[in-house]
Amino acid sequence: MAFIRRYLIPRLIQYVLVIFLGVTAVFIIPRLTPTDPIAHTIAQIRSQGAYLDPATVDQFIQDLKELYGLEGSMWDQYVALWRRLFRGDFGVSFFQFPTPVSVLVGRALPWTVGLLLTTTVMSWVLGNIIGGLAGYFSRKRWAQALDFTAMVIRPLPYYIFAFTLLLLLGYVVRLFPIAGGAEIGRRPEFSWPYIKSVLWHSFLPALSLTILGGTMWFQTMKLIVQNVNAESFVQYAKLGGVKESIIVSKYVIRNAMLPQVTALGLALGQIFSGALITEIVFSYPGLGTLLYNAVITGDYNLIMGITILSIVAITTAILALDLLYPLFDPRVRYR
Amino acid sequence: MRSKTLLLIASLLAAMSLLVACGPTPTMTPVEVTRLVQGTPIVVTATPVPVVKEKAPDVLGILPRSETLIAAQLTGRVGTPDDFNEWVGWKWRDRGMQQLMNEPLWSVDFATGKIINGLADGDPIYNEDFTQVTIPLRKGVTWSDGEPFTAADVVFTVETLMKYEGFNAHSFFVENVESVSAPDDYTVVFKLKQPNSRFHTTFLDRWGSTWIMPKHIFEKVDDPVKFQFNPPVGTGPYKLHSYDPAGYWTVWERREDWDKSPTGIMFGEPKPKYIVFQAFANEGAKILAQLTHQLDAVDLSADGLKAALAQGKTNRAYQPTFPWVVNNDPCITGLTFNTAKAPYDNPEVRWALLLAIDIVEYEAQAVDGTATMSPVHIPSLGPYPDYYIKPMQDWLKEFTLDLGNGETFKPYDPEAPARLAEYAKSRGYVVPDDPAFIAQAFGYGWYKYAPDVAEKLLIKNGFSRDADGKWRLPDGKPWRIEVISRSDMSHLEYKNAAAAVQQWKKFGIDAVHIPSDNVSSLTQYGEYDVSGNWPAFEPWGAGADLYRVLDVFNSAYVKPIGEMTQGHTSRWSSPEMDDVLKRLRETDPTDTEQVVAVGTEGLKILVQNMPGIPTFGYIGFVSWDEYYWTNWPGAENPYTQPYTHWGPFKYMTPFLQPTGN
Repeated sequence: MAFIRRYLIPRLIQYVLVIFLGVTAVFIIPRLTPTDPIAHTIAQIRSQGAYLDPATVDQFIQDLKELYGLEGSMWDQYVALWRRLFRGDFGVSFFQFPTPVSVLVGRALPWTVGLLLTTTVMSWVLGNIIGGLAGYFSRKRWAQALDFTAMVIRPLPYYIFAFTLLLLLGYVVRLFPIAGGAEIGRRPEFSWPYIKSVLWHSFLPALSLTILGGTMWFQTMKLIVQNVNAESFVQYAKLGGVKESIIVSKYVIRNAMLPQVTALGLALGQIFSGALITEIVFSYPGLGTLLYNAVITGDYNLIMGITILSIVAITTAILALDLLYPLFDPRVRYR
Repeated sequence: MRSKTLLLIASLLAAMSLLVACGPTPTMTPVEVTRLVQGTPIVVTATPVPVVKEKAPDVLGILPRSETLIAAQLTGRVGTPDDFNEWVGWKWRDRGMQQLMNEPLWSVDFATGKIINGLADGDPIYNEDFTQVTIPLRKGVTWSDGEPFTAADVVFTVETLMKYEGFNAHSFFVENVESVSAPDDYTVVFKLKQPNSRFHTTFLDRWGSTWIMPKHIFEKVDDPVKFQFNPPVGTGPYKLHSYDPAGYWTVWERREDWDKSPTGIMFGEPKPKYIVFQAFANEGAKILAQLTHQLDAVDLSADGLKAALAQGKTNRAYQPTFPWVVNNDPCITGLTFNTAKAPYDNPEVRWALLLAIDIVEYEAQAVDGTATMSPVHIPSLGPYPDYYIKPMQDWLKEFTLDLGNGETFKPYDPEAPARLAEYAKSRGYVVPDDPAFIAQAFGYGWYKYAPDVAEKLLIKNGFSRDADGKWRLPDGKPWRIEVISRSDMSHLEYKNAAAAVQQWKKFGIDAVHIPSDNVSSLTQYGEYDVSGNWPAFEPWGAGADLYRVLDVFNSAYVKPIGEMTQGHTSRWSSPEMDDVLKRLRETDPTDTEQVVAVGTEGLKILVQNMPGIPTFGYIGFVSWDEYYWTNWPGAENPYTQPYTHWGPFKYMTPFLQPTGN
């Protein structure tokens, strides 16, 4: 009972409060910018010199306000937002009217989750294993070579690195496609040719994220392991004749993993913000460009839909870490 | 740290070297190309790259590449891939809807200067007071599902648009149409609520129009605003094959009954069996796709086109020689002043800022001297030089500014294009001395670079310079001009704004360029000083009528700052322009002589008031890969407009030739 009263309930209250404040902020902030979704819609309809009779623009603006639900005071719109959210309705996208926000997010989400979940986990696992070994055996030549390679790759701006991969493997060697998430002309279906096509198209984006992400995990894990390795309890175990495999797994890696687990939790929560630059370099589908375009066009509902998803994901990840941390770290106890 | 940096640089250099080594090396052998310049054949030297045979990857999987044409989609990834209801909101209609699926009643073809009858069978026929218009329709057309197209479809479309507020054109038709009827299957009659001699232009496709709905489909729909119209049905020569649910591509397949579409009836069988519109999220990918023969037609930036031409063995631009670009796009670029805001509410200040611009330096910076300058608010291309710019030369030469103290100045400079040609020569480009070529490529004139005159105009209006030579406003405060534009560096709005800032800085004004993704809101609400927005609305590109250019300056549309304007973002108007507009509205648009007379008056008023500075015509950086398809409508053979994103792209398809690769 003490666990629920002293540990769980305060964290759940904090969880709900953060989400409430986050939703309120994403309601207010876009409305404080000078971006007007109606102005953007009209500008787009008039793009490339297409004609919209100026005499009827005023009435068109009124029609759009009604359709977009932008009539009434800010408070009315805020109350309407919470009513909609409790029904699980994010409203319709303005710029992609009348497509519901949930449809747009639902369409982009599998691409983002598929790519980022895989690459985040893969780079975390590989980076930590290799980094752990390189940290423990830091005097070996192979460890130093890996460290040097990571030092070269890690400072590269992601855009440059990703585009270089695209150049080398998409243009020079021509092994992988230059753009898109799946083969042109192939309709989505649960079949091997379609899955193969998706995997083939996702290879370069995934490779770019895994390599750069992996070097980051590698470097942090290596440094942590080197530090832990120098701790007196490890030295004492070595002097005490404890087997090296036990020292590595139980003494060093277990302690070194704690901050990495925390970081993984947060990284997984951030998946829902999308990978904007990856999507731009590889013309890959996902939430990143959807959110970017929503911000540019003042698509309040879509901004809120994606951001709320991200807020919920990150706060949930933090809550989960709070609750699970005692399992990883015996020094932490539920108060 | 130093060794790390060196290693990084070395790695990048190695990668770049690899690219250069693996990339194709064009053979720059000059060849002679004959071009038609205003009807006169002249020979110019060009350096087209040779056509070579090499194996291209079959990237399309299930589509036969040799029968497929791939074009880049101008407006990018489709946000509504499942939705083809283009009468509501914005539906990325350049994904092929307006180019392949739809036939409009009429289309503008700016390359030939002609209006092409699509679903219409001739010109609209207005009654004497422009309160009724009769439109004849083409016989023998069917929708892509086999149903015949008739006047009932047109009547249904208009009545449906008037019934539901959610349609974009709802307000227009409610404001204008009293009734619409079909006396027979191939005639439509509109009775209008008030005289409107340009009513029919809502059906004239110029990068969009009011499309006709298939009645047999929409009449069965409960809510036509929310209806997704998927799969869509059209009267164009292609039908939907498939699309990417993520919005990156749309594939169109030639109709088996293509001869029942106006395109097929007029021009024959479209050659590509499939046409793909593919979106790319960055220009680098577009260029790489074209260099690997995965993209046949694309609009690039100036630098992108240079890179594609330099690296591609089978690439070509619109013009086979300098200046390469598409320079017959019916659009004038330049700068727009916010005339609702001091000191830009003063025409003499606006003129002073114009005279502080050296157009040769300006164009050199903006577009490397490749565009055609225009002294008036329409582009110097297509039919417009003959109708307006050439006949206005005498007036422009005599146009005089009052500098105060009895001093005057004639700002027009008919030699400006020749100066620009000299600049181009200095860059090493081959520029014939033929005056006809120079006029066509660079224009008929612009204004003198006269910073001394600009200074006099400003001093006359109370401006002053401080001890450092920097300009101060009449109230003594430093003069800072914020020039806003889109943030896309390759866009001509950006390039105009950046060039203007450099010119005005040189003149001693604290000018800054502020690129913004929010420029459409800022300009429509009047929250800016100067913008890179077009100084006037684009003309039709065919015929002499300037109604759509001038009408945006109607005083009825001007709103105070803070409210969204209905008209031009300069918020400028005048009683004289209102009078011109009134007379233009009462003029039959097909009465060329009268339309030109009134239109010329409108252009003169704009020059006198200069609410925005016209600089040069829009230029497009089209790159075509001729590996799979040839006979593109280049400058030497402009049988139709050259873009794949404009509606008349459909009229290009019967003339494209497969190479057999």
